[in-house]
Amino acid sequence: MQIYAPDGPIGTPDSPRVPARAVLTGLRIGVLDNGKPNARLVMVRAASQLADRTGARVALVTDKGPNHNAATPCSDEVLDRLTKEVDLVITGSAD
Amino acid sequence: MNPVAARTSATPTAAPDAELLEVGDSPEALLALFAERGWGDGLPLVAPTPERVSAMLAALGDVDPDEVIATLPPRFGQATRRIIAVNAVLAGCAPEHLPVVVTAVRALARPEVNLRGVNATTHCVAPLLVVHGEIAGQAGYNGGIGAFGPGNRANAATGRAVRLILLHVAGAVPGPGDASTQGGPAKYSYCVAENAAATPWEGYAASVGVHASSAVTVHCGEGPHNVHDMESSEPAPILDKLASAMATLGPNNVVIAQGEFFVALCPEHASTIAAHGWSRRDIQSYLYQRARLPAADVRAAFVSRAWEPWMHAVPDDELLPMTGHPDHIRVFVCGGPGKHSSIIPSWGMTKSVTLPIEP
Repeated sequence: MQIYAPDGPIGTPDSPRVPARAVLTGLRIGVLDNGKPNARLVMVRAASQLADRTGARVALVTDKGPNHNAATPCSDEVLDRLTKEVDLVITGSAD
Repeated sequence: MNPVAARTSATPTAAPDAELLEVGDSPEALLALFAERGWGDGLPLVAPTPERVSAMLAALGDVDPDEVIATLPPRFGQATRRIIAVNAVLAGCAPEHLPVVVTAVRALARPEVNLRGVNATTHCVAPLLVVHGEIAGQAGYNGGIGAFGPGNRANAATGRAVRLILLHVAGAVPGPGDASTQGGPAKYSYCVAENAAATPWEGYAASVGVHASSAVTVHCGEGPHNVHDMESSEPAPILDKLASAMATLGPNNVVIAQGEFFVALCPEHASTIAAHGWSRRDIQSYLYQRARLPAADVRAAFVSRAWEPWMHAVPDDELLPMTGHPDHIRVFVCGGPGKHSSIIPSWGMTKSVTLPIEP
């Protein structure tokens, strides 16, 4: 017999990701803390090691803003800072 | 029977963007195909043949079956009416249940629901559907005895259809799309009707400003937590027990002030409370006042707190409410004879939505 597949087509995300940077030397790294325990510790260490290996530098470490957490996007104010002050961002979306 | 399906090509019955597959006629072949593709909820399914899907769609009347009702994260799958109908067939829905499923999908896509978070979180959250108004009776939804339990096709199949849509279209598959640490039984099916006949106040939908003959509410939260009171003949002792169940360190509400509590009052508790002249607003206000924990205990338990600004200023030796505003406590009547009500805590970073039933 014939049946329909249940999943349907995939649409377009509201905010597609920008292409990854091929070379990080000289770039500014941001860390966006998602508010989960130990997230900042892990991500800052990862950012520091990435900077050491590539010649980039850690320029900004921030949380998502008041009452924002892992379940929500960061505040507009934080997004504006990231846009202006860093070239790439390390963040996480889970525990 | 060979369960392996093949994509058909150039079939004249294929709708735009809806893919047709070939599969053996047996239920076992269908289950095997779905297991192979990573589809389904593990339970037997009804084959979504073009004939069954067309019959399902007919319940919606003269509407475009391929209009995208919602794009659902994290997969960003497009939920057309046809794809929704496919999943409704799979779940065992009757055609008269489809408008509820379509409306629930529309509600889940509202930004305040935060479906991406609902689907992806480590929490056990599942969308509860509460069906209101004429369609509850017409389509056979149960708001009476055992409403949260088994035995009613409308409740079971509608809740299951929404879950299958979240699995298939939204991609909320345990692991890659749903990080829920323990999952939860509410993730199989979670749908009840409001017991309108036993509601001593205006209906829930009207109470939140939705004045329609039929409506559905989605609330993304935990499974129901029982609260029994066999003895009290006045409102306060009944509500104190509900408040006691709300005021614990476990639910996300304790640290996410925008989180709602749904309170499903059984008819007998509702009747006792209303007989003393208490309104729904009185219940909300009382529970807001009584469902509290010492501020010092909460601060000691949690570093991360998404509170209203004023809540941060509550001294350690005073009590903190379990939610940021009385309006976050949502009261409806559900169930049959007996003296068991329930509270349904929220995932937190989500708000309930009530929409009129539309095809």
